[in-house]
Amino acid sequence: MAVLQYLINGLSIGSIYAIIALGYTMVYGIAKMLNFAHGDVIMVGAYISYCVMIYLKMPPVAAILAAIVVCTVLGVLIEALAYRPLRGTSSLAVLITAIGVSYFLQNAAQLIWGVAQKTYSSVVAMESIHLFDGKLLITGEVIVTIITSAVVMVCLTLFTSKTRMGKAMRAVSEDRDAAQLMGINVNRTIAVTFAIGSALAAIAGVLLCSASPALKPTTGSMPGIRAFTAAVFGGIGSIPGAMLGGILLGVIEELCKGLISTQFSDAIVFGVLIVVLLVKPTGLMGKQVQEKV
Amino acid sequence: MLKIDDIHVYYGAIHAIKGISFQVNEGEIVALIGANGAGKSTILKTISGLMHPRSGSISFMGENITHTDAYKLLRHGLAHVPEGRRIFLQMSVQENLDMGAFTQKTVSKEDLDMVFQLFPRLKERRNQVAGTLSGGEQQMLAMSRALMSHPKLMMLDEPSMGLAPILVDQIFSIIQDLHKAGTTILLVEQNASKALKIADRAYVLETGNITLSGTGAELAKSDEVRKAYLGG
Repeated sequence: MAVLQYLINGLSIGSIYAIIALGYTMVYGIAKMLNFAHGDVIMVGAYISYCVMIYLKMPPVAAILAAIVVCTVLGVLIEALAYRPLRGTSSLAVLITAIGVSYFLQNAAQLIWGVAQKTYSSVVAMESIHLFDGKLLITGEVIVTIITSAVVMVCLTLFTSKTRMGKAMRAVSEDRDAAQLMGINVNRTIAVTFAIGSALAAIAGVLLCSASPALKPTTGSMPGIRAFTAAVFGGIGSIPGAMLGGILLGVIEELCKGLISTQFSDAIVFGVLIVVLLVKPTGLMGKQVQEKV
Repeated sequence: MLKIDDIHVYYGAIHAIKGISFQVNEGEIVALIGANGAGKSTILKTISGLMHPRSGSISFMGENITHTDAYKLLRHGLAHVPEGRRIFLQMSVQENLDMGAFTQKTVSKEDLDMVFQLFPRLKERRNQVAGTLSGGEQQMLAMSRALMSHPKLMMLDEPSMGLAPILVDQIFSIIQDLHKAGTTILLVEQNASKALKIADRAYVLETGNITLSGTGAELAKSDEVRKAYLGG
């Protein structure tokens, strides 16, 4: 029964990693850059929703919507101001800039909200479910998280496979020049990608802090890094890969914590990543397409 | 229709195109021939806006497009089928065609019927991932994708590259069909004999300069061209 409990918890935290990993992987796939500030956008989303609930005394739905709107705008601004001017320069310059943006967001959060940890109040009002005489506990947060991420994944899959913009994003991700020759505006496509990724980060921030209520300016860092790992694990650039990688990472992490050791869980998770990359360098679902001549 | 005036193009410090001028008139098939590395593909990339010249000008249908971004040019009626086809290998044949019609907002059934009539093979493979197509089919898809935008001028970069002779013949006969249907063609080819046979006019390119020009028939007879590109 304990194992089942770990699996369910793992599925829940893994779903959050998956939502964050989607942001990393989409931006990487389309803009060919690692947006290390992505984790901090999560933190901003959490703070915004916190403020709307606590200071403005508005309901959670309004808080979530506010977080989504602010993060979307923030993501587009970061891309336009920090990354776009560097397009076409070395990828190292972009990477360093992303790290700089990450610190900028953390420090800005410190200035605005202070360094002291805030206690986030969950947006979920649902009662926990006790099964098997209380041996299995499923919290409302777990249920909401799993359902939300399932909805997000279905929507995103439909978006990329069915809509004109979604297909254009896949085209840009596969071959930027050829996409331009189709009349696709690459800059706009990249901006849309950042908007979607940042909106997802806002949702992830709300879910993350609802599940573990400690909110501080560095809240986004560790989940950000784990989600980045998940994206690489699943095959960076691949949307189903990010989903699978996130969920697997969460499940492995919880199983390690429960069955082996809490302290070693990160080491084991990253160890698994190394093994996967040794065996399959493109990640679980990363594709290597052979070109025909 | 298309006028290139004294363009100089650089790759960093490398002076790839050294002051080239030529033009394509409406209704023509114009061929650019020349050896590997002569700058043929660079010229097409510069026309379609993937690269920009350091000096000189390019105009299309009377409009200066020297510094226009690539993605805007398709709306002007200028399509570029790049070297190596560059189809979206992870997308289906249908999705590739959808991308070809990106500027049209919706994919019209008439356009699909038109390309499927030209290339019936693509209809059979409509839902197949483009990466699984043979080289010839990929070339057909690349051309179809460009046709979805109803181009006035179609630039084809090495359409015969790596194809079996029978497929080369087929591709060239389709180029002639498109031309008869009213599309102006700018053709870059290493297969000089084929290209000169169908071209109204042609230019010979050598390391960034145009060294010869004339009608297709004239060049096919010219000693220099025969020696250099037609195997004596």
